[in-house]
Amino acid sequence: MKRAIRINPDDNAATALNDIEAGETISLVSKSGPIGEMTAKQAVPFGHKLAVTDIKKGDKILKYGEVIGLATQQISKGDYVHTHNVESALLPGAKEAK
Amino acid sequence: MEFLGFERPNGSVGIRNYVAVISSGRCANEMAATIADAVPGAVPVIHTHVCVRFKDDNEKALRVITGIGSSPNVAAAIVVGVGCENPSPATIAGEIAKSKKPVEVLTMMESDGFQSFMDQGFSIARRMVAEASRMQRKPFPLSYLTLGVKCGGSSAVSGIAGNAVTGKVLDRLIAEGGTAIFSETTEVIGAEHLLAKRAVNEEVARRLREMVDRQEAIIKASGEDIRGTQPTRGNIAEGLTTIEDKSLGAMAKSGTSPLQGVLEYGEKPPGKGLYFMDSTAMTSELISSEAAAGAHIHIYNVGGGISSSFRCPPGWMGEIPFIPQIAVVSRQSKPRDSQEKDFFDIYADTIVEGTESVDEVADRFFNEVVAVASGKLTKREMRKGYREPIVLYTTGPIV
Repeated sequence: MKRAIRINPDDNAATALNDIEAGETISLVSKSGPIGEMTAKQAVPFGHKLAVTDIKKGDKILKYGEVIGLATQQISKGDYVHTHNVESALLPGAKEAK
Repeated sequence: MEFLGFERPNGSVGIRNYVAVISSGRCANEMAATIADAVPGAVPVIHTHVCVRFKDDNEKALRVITGIGSSPNVAAAIVVGVGCENPSPATIAGEIAKSKKPVEVLTMMESDGFQSFMDQGFSIARRMVAEASRMQRKPFPLSYLTLGVKCGGSSAVSGIAGNAVTGKVLDRLIAEGGTAIFSETTEVIGAEHLLAKRAVNEEVARRLREMVDRQEAIIKASGEDIRGTQPTRGNIAEGLTTIEDKSLGAMAKSGTSPLQGVLEYGEKPPGKGLYFMDSTAMTSELISSEAAAGAHIHIYNVGGGISSSFRCPPGWMGEIPFIPQIAVVSRQSKPRDSQEKDFFDIYADTIVEGTESVDEVADRFFNEVVAVASGKLTKREMRKGYREPIVLYTTGPIV
């Protein structure tokens, strides 16, 4: 089964350890081992993130147990989490700075 | 927990027992290397310092060269110079002598010519090696150990594989009373308060912010503004969403211990625990500064891909021969080539493959740190061949 890792028990985003297809059931793992299964609603490439809980607009996105940004829209469990629905809490709008 | 090390006269404990033949400046590199290469048990410390620099860079060079010479992994040192350089060979030797180990100075200006100079060098090196060879390893608590760390060629999984296990190893050593140093000031720009949050007090947090501001000013003076340009387009394609995501992945290698203090380039930590040092991300500049601060072992984390596949990754350029480097890789090439298979000490790619957990790799990694501290050779220590001089960090002009 394909896998995603939730680094910290508080995290609401996990990192894909395989290229995950939309609709696939995957294994969610922690630092110590497997913690359960979930369904990816959207495709998530290797190294990218997916939501492991429902996240409301404006909520903090947690990875490493720390805030990596804020949700710019409602995100459902299993959704792909990236620049289209998250922005930096430190440097809002930084993604347009390219 | 204990390791087997060499007790030094100043109370520190070394994990290697070499005689260092230290060049006082670039003009003396060849002499230092030739003397060291002729005597088993002696190793060269050759570097890029030249006379045509200003005060601040001269001071940094003195701090780092003498810090490296004072390393507990060095049993005795010979400073080899021309005699006219700044800092002078005698100044360097005088600073190293404060660590109470045997130190001698040899200058071309005070010799009867090149051949006589070299013969004297061989003779001193042999005498020192003979003396060092009588020393025996004894058990010491892990609290005597200092680790230096750096990541390079990072990939999307560095933060969850190599850096995550390195962070756990650092946390574990610090829990045993040991010390760890991490660096790369530029990586902290834009995310300085994520690190400042871990500072033990406001003074440490303030000094960290000042250090980051200073680095940013140096970058701005060159006409670049990097704040607001992170993460890069390449990082985003790899899956890093924000500057916080990127910086926290890099900082994962420092673990979760409180930040005890910040250090200037090559400065020794005043106590135990976790320290941040001001340095560049240039591997040799960083390794030399962490070694000068007393790091016994250097952990070099390679993300994977191309940076793990060429013969001489930046982590092995301008290294210090008596600071063992434990090389970690987060993701294997497909197919893994024979070179890569033989280059790394810790394969953390099993976390990505699903055959081991972060905790399992961290356990095996920590045991490896203790084994290397007790004398086990790293993969890099078992390869001779191409070497480059240590690169010293400079911020001023060369005139």
